[in-house]
Amino acid sequence: MDRADIVDQAFRSKLVKGELPGGQPAGGPLSQHGAVAIFRAQCLSRNLDRRSRKMQAVGQGYYTIGSSGHEGMAAVAAALRPDDMAFLHYRDGAFQTMRSSQVPGVTPAWDMLLSFATATEDPISGGRHKVLGSRRMMIPPQTSTIASHLPKAVGAAYSIGLAKRHAPEHMVLADDGLVMCSFGDASSNHSTAQGAINTACWTSFQSVPLPLLFVCEDNGIGISTRTPQGWVAANYSIKPGLKYFFADGLNIFDTYRVAQEAADYVRSRKKPAFLHLGLVRLYGHAGPDLQQTYLSKDIFEGWEADEPLLHSARLLIDAGILTADEVLAIYDQAEAQCARVAAEVVTRPRLQNATDVMASLIPPKRVCTPTNGPSAEARAQVFGSDIKQMDSLQPMSRILNWALTDLMLEHGEIIMMGEDIGLKGGVYGVTQKLATRFGPDRMIDTLLDEQSILGLAIGMAHNGFVPMPEIQFLAYLHNAEDQLRGEAATLSFFSNGQFTNPMVLRIAGLGYQRGFGGHFHNDNSLAVLRDIPGIVVACPSQGDDAAQMLRECVRLAREEQRVVVFVEPIALYPMRDLHAEKDGGWMRSYPSPEKRIGIGKVGVTGDGPLAIISYGNGHYLSQQAAKKLSEQDINTRIIDMRWLVPLPVKGILGALEGVEKVLIVDECRTTGNQSEALMAMLHENTDLPHARIAAEDSFIATGPAYAVTMPSRDSIVGAAKTLWSAS
Amino acid sequence: MTQTAVVIAPGRGTYNKPELGYLARHHADKTTLFAEFDAYRTNKRQKTVTELDSAERYSGPTHTRGDNASPLIYACAYADFQSIDQKQFDIVGVTGNSMGWYIALACAGALEPIGGLEVVNTMGTLMQEHLIGGQLIYPFVDESWCEIPGRRDEIATAMQEIDARPDHTLGLSIELGGMLVLAGDAAGLDAFENEMPRVQERFPMQLQNHAGFHSALQEPVAELGRAALPQNLFRQPNIPLIDGRGALWSPKSSDLVALWDYTLGHQVVQPYDFTAAIRTASRELMPDVFIILGPGTTLGGATAQALTMSNWRGLGDKASFQSSQSAAVRLLAMGMEDQRRLVV
Repeated sequence: MDRADIVDQAFRSKLVKGELPGGQPAGGPLSQHGAVAIFRAQCLSRNLDRRSRKMQAVGQGYYTIGSSGHEGMAAVAAALRPDDMAFLHYRDGAFQTMRSSQVPGVTPAWDMLLSFATATEDPISGGRHKVLGSRRMMIPPQTSTIASHLPKAVGAAYSIGLAKRHAPEHMVLADDGLVMCSFGDASSNHSTAQGAINTACWTSFQSVPLPLLFVCEDNGIGISTRTPQGWVAANYSIKPGLKYFFADGLNIFDTYRVAQEAADYVRSRKKPAFLHLGLVRLYGHAGPDLQQTYLSKDIFEGWEADEPLLHSARLLIDAGILTADEVLAIYDQAEAQCARVAAEVVTRPRLQNATDVMASLIPPKRVCTPTNGPSAEARAQVFGSDIKQMDSLQPMSRILNWALTDLMLEHGEIIMMGEDIGLKGGVYGVTQKLATRFGPDRMIDTLLDEQSILGLAIGMAHNGFVPMPEIQFLAYLHNAEDQLRGEAATLSFFSNGQFTNPMVLRIAGLGYQRGFGGHFHNDNSLAVLRDIPGIVVACPSQGDDAAQMLRECVRLAREEQRVVVFVEPIALYPMRDLHAEKDGGWMRSYPSPEKRIGIGKVGVTGDGPLAIISYGNGHYLSQQAAKKLSEQDINTRIIDMRWLVPLPVKGILGALEGVEKVLIVDECRTTGNQSEALMAMLHENTDLPHARIAAEDSFIATGPAYAVTMPSRDSIVGAAKTLWSAS
Repeated sequence: MTQTAVVIAPGRGTYNKPELGYLARHHADKTTLFAEFDAYRTNKRQKTVTELDSAERYSGPTHTRGDNASPLIYACAYADFQSIDQKQFDIVGVTGNSMGWYIALACAGALEPIGGLEVVNTMGTLMQEHLIGGQLIYPFVDESWCEIPGRRDEIATAMQEIDARPDHTLGLSIELGGMLVLAGDAAGLDAFENEMPRVQERFPMQLQNHAGFHSALQEPVAELGRAALPQNLFRQPNIPLIDGRGALWSPKSSDLVALWDYTLGHQVVQPYDFTAAIRTASRELMPDVFIILGPGTTLGGATAQALTMSNWRGLGDKASFQSSQSAAVRLLAMGMEDQRRLVV
């Protein structure tokens, strides 16, 4: 027999016999009707779990990780406001059913059963995934099982204080709101959770407002691994800047009382708190998980004897709020309701094809109030003496700095965050003076944790800001990759476009820094970014392009809510010369602020029959090579991709008209990077003979051999000649 | 076999000439109840409900006045509710349209029968005494219940534009299936009637003797209502209620202060979303049938439209609703004799 049915029968029979578990009596601020409302939400959640297993058993449901044992979360929901944004643990069905009763017109049984059935009418994900979530209830969907939603909860909480000073046009969180984030005891060990909690402490320690309520749902086990007794309390009760609360999650009166105290603390003091709930887990981790294979029977039967609905029944009956018959009637009604609704939802249409599934990969556009841009006076004031230099040729780092200044001046919702970007102005000076120009609250010097930087950006974007986080070096992205891949990029997909986190992520990267830094400062692979559905990756190679592309990236984020990555080739930041020392051939003047280069538009130099497709440093080297080749009567057409993801197929094919052969130059590693995509694209779309020169599948060395694994001017010349002369 | 049912109480405008004698015709067994209602009215020096119901002839000016129509409709609908065969139907929810919310409260036990009358009578009388503004009705679906593309936007634009004129007031009053009821002052209503295209030969249609219910125009009435009707009239419902926002109020778990506040606050001065009430009822409670209490038959169309808009049990349009009704009646109107027989 399904363990869920065993627990169900035990509930009924123990209720009738009056064999209810002992515990503290009802007390505290929870009203009688409030207690029954919580119990109703618990019963609905429990029966939704049971129904999900029955739907799955007949092939009509696709998700069985339940909330049974965690129904105390209904009391946490009751202690919060329905506009407090909640990033939920996957066992928080009861939180959602309770919050549903606080928002008129929400239909939790219908909505959640549609989700189990993956019906297209599922109001949160459109049938893409079983997720808890709701736009109306301020519950962004989480798919995380690994605490990867904690960093963005920190960001969302931080945004509340910032929005008070700089209210963004698309702000959604109230001034006096708080952010709640829940997770299990097992995932509290995850480095992502540890990092986010550390960031919250670091922030609070400095008295920076952070109205954030962490809720750790401690059922004592993570799939099969027991959490050591007392571990969660020992770990989190003495953190700097973090107030610890504990509640018996099996007792709705105690949970409500403590959750209310914790919420009051967070809301009034704008400081983070850690609410630790003691709970039990029923029926194992998920439907197919047989807990008896790794747990002794007395343990899980002990949990079942101590399960929260029995405790709620005891509390309500002992306090004279309900009779046993009334308790049973509420439970029976919830079961019957779930059965009736489930019978209907399984008849609803499901997603049928790739187009339907992919419809929400790209977020919907939003209307932003048009601006005429900053006035000449405002620009003059902000730029100061810089403005006089704008007509002269400048290296890319300078032009980027000016472009960022203009963008931040025009759009008050742009906030930058990263390591050393403020006071120092960035490792390479790209963000110099911006902290002075716009203040430290728009130029946030973060602690050293890339997951927290991206989490800050994602969370702030949930509240209408357009964050421009910076990852100091490409190699530092990897420890935080999931924040982009698993969180930012998936939000629109899993919320059917209802939640978005637009941003422009600036990453300084790629190779060719002369003998400086080795691999960790010269990472030359973008493979980690190339396969993430829905994101845009841009990579400029020269200053004027960089400014105009950055403006387009900000437009894509602000107006189209896209997640954009802007890769800045470090070696080209200071580059002045192209062919010879002091020729100034790679410097550009600052393009006027209204000029943009649209997504997918490639750059073309020359009209020769030999095309060289490249980007970034490769483009720079190809321009050098083109001169050498022309001296040997090989005329080239240099195509700068500019936009790496999605691949600008139309732009490239247009630029190839009249071309006879194509050489691809990729400074990134041979495996998994642009050259592979370009080779495949050419093969599929043209008959043109083509070849590639790409970096070796190696890490970058420091010292004199810094560039030997990557294409050079001379190797490009060589490859071009070989291709051109081949019959 | 018992069927689950959600009961819908009607609003104003449902007791018309054909309904004269409704209480006598259908509820001769409920003399005690009506005696209680009549005593209340007599005490208020108002015509009794049985007197109104047994009038020799129907009189528009008398029967449609708020202080008469409201208690009369309440008495008919509440008595109809009492007549539902509860062995045959397990009532899993009660809702209503507009004034039907007060009736729903009584049916669900959140108001005693006499308490329900007190609320209905007080609010009906206050509305009549003040008679602030009026209502009109206008569809945004065609005669097949298909939404006319862009029509809702046109209505909203016209409404806002008229409301912005000096000395004009117009706003949304009720979301009523495929129709919108607008509330406004005479200038606002007349402007809409004169300027919007006439459709289905009768719309825009101004509603006689109706005030501008469910709009800010009623703020004074709401205030008087709150002063006259104490919170202790309200009690825990025995059956889940669905209000005019689509919110559920469940037995033993309703906040009675909030219920009083909604009923005499939000519900009076903000738009009433009957469509949302039906959406919640149809999806969340998923009953086998809906039963519309009498008197009258006018709420059936709006309810059916709201059900199709919610895609209830796969109903998507008028044709699918009609064919479903002929296969197995899922929407039962007690104001229709043949369907009434299936309910009592």
